[in-house]
Amino acid sequence: MPVSIKDILPESRESRLEENIATFVDMLRREGLPLGTTEMIDALKALGRVDLANRSEFKAALQTTLVKSYRDQAIFSRMFDHFFVPQEEHQRKSETAASYRQQLENLINQADSELQFKGESLQLSEKELQQYSSLSQQQRDSLQDFLQKTETGKNVESRFRPLLETVVKSHLRYCRTKKSSEQESFHNADGSGAGSFAGSEDQGLREKDIEAIRAADMPAAEQLLQKLSRKLAVKILRRRRTGPRSGTLDLRRSMRENMRFGGIIFKLKHKPKRRSKQQILLLCDVSASMKQYSTFVLHFLLGLQEVVRNLTCFSFSDDVENLTPGLKGRKDLQHILDRVIRQSQNWGGGTNLGRALSEMARKYPDLINAKTTVIVVSDTKTVSLDRSLKELEKLNERVKRVIWLNPLPLDQWPDYRSVNAISEIVEMWPCSTIGQLEEVLTGRL
Amino acid sequence: MTTTLSGLRKKFEQVGYICDESTALTVYLALDLKKPLLIEGAPGVGKTEMGKVLAEILETELIRLQCYEGLDETKALYEWNYQRQLLRIQMNRNLEDEQIREEDLFSSDYLLERPLLKAIQAEKPVVLLIDEVDKCDPEFEAFLFEVLSDFQVSIPELGTVAAKNIPVVVLTSNNERELSDGLKRRCLYLYLDFPEVEKEVEIIKAKVPGIGDRLAWETARVVARLRKKQDLRKKPSIAETLDWARALVALNRNRLDGKLVADTLNLVLKTHADQQYFKREIGPEGVEKILKNTEDGGDICRCQ
Repeated sequence: MPVSIKDILPESRESRLEENIATFVDMLRREGLPLGTTEMIDALKALGRVDLANRSEFKAALQTTLVKSYRDQAIFSRMFDHFFVPQEEHQRKSETAASYRQQLENLINQADSELQFKGESLQLSEKELQQYSSLSQQQRDSLQDFLQKTETGKNVESRFRPLLETVVKSHLRYCRTKKSSEQESFHNADGSGAGSFAGSEDQGLREKDIEAIRAADMPAAEQLLQKLSRKLAVKILRRRRTGPRSGTLDLRRSMRENMRFGGIIFKLKHKPKRRSKQQILLLCDVSASMKQYSTFVLHFLLGLQEVVRNLTCFSFSDDVENLTPGLKGRKDLQHILDRVIRQSQNWGGGTNLGRALSEMARKYPDLINAKTTVIVVSDTKTVSLDRSLKELEKLNERVKRVIWLNPLPLDQWPDYRSVNAISEIVEMWPCSTIGQLEEVLTGRL
Repeated sequence: MTTTLSGLRKKFEQVGYICDESTALTVYLALDLKKPLLIEGAPGVGKTEMGKVLAEILETELIRLQCYEGLDETKALYEWNYQRQLLRIQMNRNLEDEQIREEDLFSSDYLLERPLLKAIQAEKPVVLLIDEVDKCDPEFEAFLFEVLSDFQVSIPELGTVAAKNIPVVVLTSNNERELSDGLKRRCLYLYLDFPEVEKEVEIIKAKVPGIGDRLAWETARVVARLRKKQDLRKKPSIAETLDWARALVALNRNRLDGKLVADTLNLVLKTHADQQYFKREIGPEGVEKILKNTEDGGDICRCQ
């Protein structure tokens, strides 16, 4: 007989568990996992069938019901370890949090006693007092000095208080903008499981110049790229559905369908239209200035591998090199990418587009055909521009389309002869941010 | 078909299916919650085997639906035996006194059951293995998740056919393309990875009778190293490890050496490019190093 949560937990603990699972599911949703109510109900049902005191069973039950792809497993594990903290650690965190809270209270009281005018405390909010207490000793002394001098000045009356309060608040506001993230985390520490995992940072990363994304932001950028490429993959899949009458007449199915009408062809059946597989050829400029941009585009397109079966990646600078064999398997993308970068002889060199294109046409003629969409990631800075243009024209004639992703800022485009010349041959799109990358490829794949 | 988690673990052991705790738990939950189980993982990790093993454990029939591009309802669900229907019509033309009715032609006598319908109509719960679901078209996938959610199908001429017994459904995917959220939502999810060396040693011992500890350990160790090579086009599967181990036993060997590995390489590496890669990058000397590390690292002692 199935066991329900109600059977194994007292009512209060049962509702607490349900609340925790709901919060946990919500956190996973914010991380991009497509979870609905069904998954949550499944998770609760599964928990009713395992030993809740056994952490590995508890985790496995949640994982099997809430995670639906390999990629999401890492996110799940990270969030699980953060949210479901073991009892001892929770105890330790709670004690630390309580100690922080006590410290904070003392600091607020001290701040209140220090920020006085004519023997009375200033009307400042608790947050502002916290802000004051987080200032350096020198800054605090300076504020106290200011209040003291004002207080002892000539013709100073009690009605000056609001003015003083405004000055102190403005000063605190100014200091807040300069406050370090370390101080913020100290004041916000409350020891609870749920941290801030909102995707609010996503928007910032989307709009940030890819070149300016630093190593510390890379994991977040990687996650964002995966999220966006998954979204695009789903869109491509949906678009591929064909209508019922899209192909040629299917005589066999028509006859079978019309048996019921005594052999009279009453209903026509059509063969489904042959789905043309997307064949994408990615050409990444890996000269020194382009490294980071190329890595990001490569990363984004690798996320589409599931729907774009024929994705071939080349790096080019002075020569062209096929990266595809090294990109097989998707276990640890960053690791694979690093390996490819290390192995690639072209990575970080100068650029000769013309030579690279002619080499590619010579070595890989099968890849260049009317079904191929070529995506070039380059800032167009190349030696032998004339030869490059000729080769590009040849390539453009032989393939379905060439999409050029240019990370140069749009306002700089007119300054470069190469940009103008190339954009006359192929379509060129600005692509200096993750947002632009997504926008360009979503509309064109 | 009711079982406990410990009972299931025991049965897995009895049939020689070696798996970790979380895998057993996931399968147990799928059986207990009566939810389809979606298994993903690299080719050769034992996804399909899970379906077969479940049928063996549950002592029931295994009905397999192999998915491919272009698979449609007529191949997966049912089809009218139109040749037989035609014959019946032709026969009736000669019999003036016997009038043929539409219901006669569209009765279960003329229905060709395909795997899905067969699984739904089975008298006792069966194991339905929908293999390589990622290879079928999205349209069929959409149709499939309707079947999997309600366990009933609608045949226009006959009406709705509801499942007599809800089958145990196992879907496998090589992750060639992203499956739809709708399908995933209806399934519990299990990702199978290649086993750790220790687990693979257990598998080898369970499946290859007469193999010695040392040979089992060295075989598993070399295969695990090969799988770590990212440049290999096709990583050796568990089945290939077992074939290799069986071959080594047949050759009366009780330990590996570089030359033996090089001579029997085609049992593990199945493409010319991979074999060339092995010769170029690893070779007999590389194998000797792996085996030496095994001995030096004391790994061998754990199984003796």
